[in-house]
Amino acid sequence: MSDTLDIEDLEALEDLECEEQAGGETKADRTARRRTAIHDIEPGADWNDVEHAILTRRSIRKFKGRQVPEFMIRRILEMGRFAPSQGNCQPWSFIVVRDKAMIAEMEQACVAVCKGMTASVDYTNYAPDSAERAAILENTQKLNRASPNSFHPVPMTAIKSIANGRFAVFHKAPTVILILKDKRGVGVPDVDVGVVGTNIVLAAQSLGLGTCWIGFCRLLSNNPAMLEKLGVAPPFELAEAICVGYPIGNPTQQTVARQTHQIIWWEDGQQQVLH
Amino acid sequence: MTSESAAKAVVDPDHLPIWDDPAEAMYRQVTIDLDKCDGCRLCVVVCPANLLELFGPKDDLKVRLKGDVTGCMSCNNCFAVCAGQGVFATEPYDFVGYYAQKRIGAFAQPRKF
Repeated sequence: MSDTLDIEDLEALEDLECEEQAGGETKADRTARRRTAIHDIEPGADWNDVEHAILTRRSIRKFKGRQVPEFMIRRILEMGRFAPSQGNCQPWSFIVVRDKAMIAEMEQACVAVCKGMTASVDYTNYAPDSAERAAILENTQKLNRASPNSFHPVPMTAIKSIANGRFAVFHKAPTVILILKDKRGVGVPDVDVGVVGTNIVLAAQSLGLGTCWIGFCRLLSNNPAMLEKLGVAPPFELAEAICVGYPIGNPTQQTVARQTHQIIWWEDGQQQVLH
Repeated sequence: MTSESAAKAVVDPDHLPIWDDPAEAMYRQVTIDLDKCDGCRLCVVVCPANLLELFGPKDDLKVRLKGDVTGCMSCNNCFAVCAGQGVFATEPYDFVGYYAQKRIGAFAQPRKF
């Protein structure tokens, strides 16, 4: 036997020991015990519970007024606690806001920021071919080059809608979970925030709750008084938020088709492109 | 997408899409099957972009797109809540030029492997 033992060697040793003990576990029992972690699944099998939760999840932006019981929020946060993270550093902390006045205050703080932003970057407020429009468009394009993700047309449209009151940042949800990121986290802590949030969202889905990720909660980072009131302090930063509530209608009755994405598949020295 | 804006995007890959111009930034290919619509109003309520409205006599309401509003991002929340499957965003949300989505294929329901 070599210096290192692999799993087959260990199992063979265990078999030998068991054979020496009369009346011990049979070989069939041992095989069954070792295989408990292996699921026998056929190609094309039905969705299991986890897959079903993934496929029926929607981003819910209209909630019933009813508050979610406290134990259910504790339950989904517990699923977050068991998320994988880089170096197992678990670089997150939560703030749960279920206070209507506090959520309204957070909403107003975000609207104020959006109003300021539209004044300086929303060129569509001015007539085509006007000098003001050209000046603001130049400003927008500069910001867009510097920060193409934040100044992507999608958030720009949403910022405009938030500023003129057509779109609520927190969707009037009864519960808002703020996810804080420990900026000293191992590797890329933002990824860990995404993973912990995904656990929470899928757990909520499986319990019949509706959720929506709210990246716009980071607008609150421009408001130090608000951060202090909420309890955000270094080394923690506001990273993401998840709205939780009971959805209006039944958005899980059918799965919505999604775009397929290119998959480059390398195997046996060959490259294939799949979708 | 107009051929003019598409041409502009090819010439200038840094071209910034005008976000309120449907020719450059938005698709609005929401298909509504009026035979399947029973006017229940759920899709009007859940549309995050507030793009839908009801029209017609009170006993035979139907849904339609509001004329002058852009913003559909093909989320299909409308389809998800529609019991009759009468409304669906049939085109993916996309842009020309800089923001055009890459490596994206057709819509598909979940496939079993």
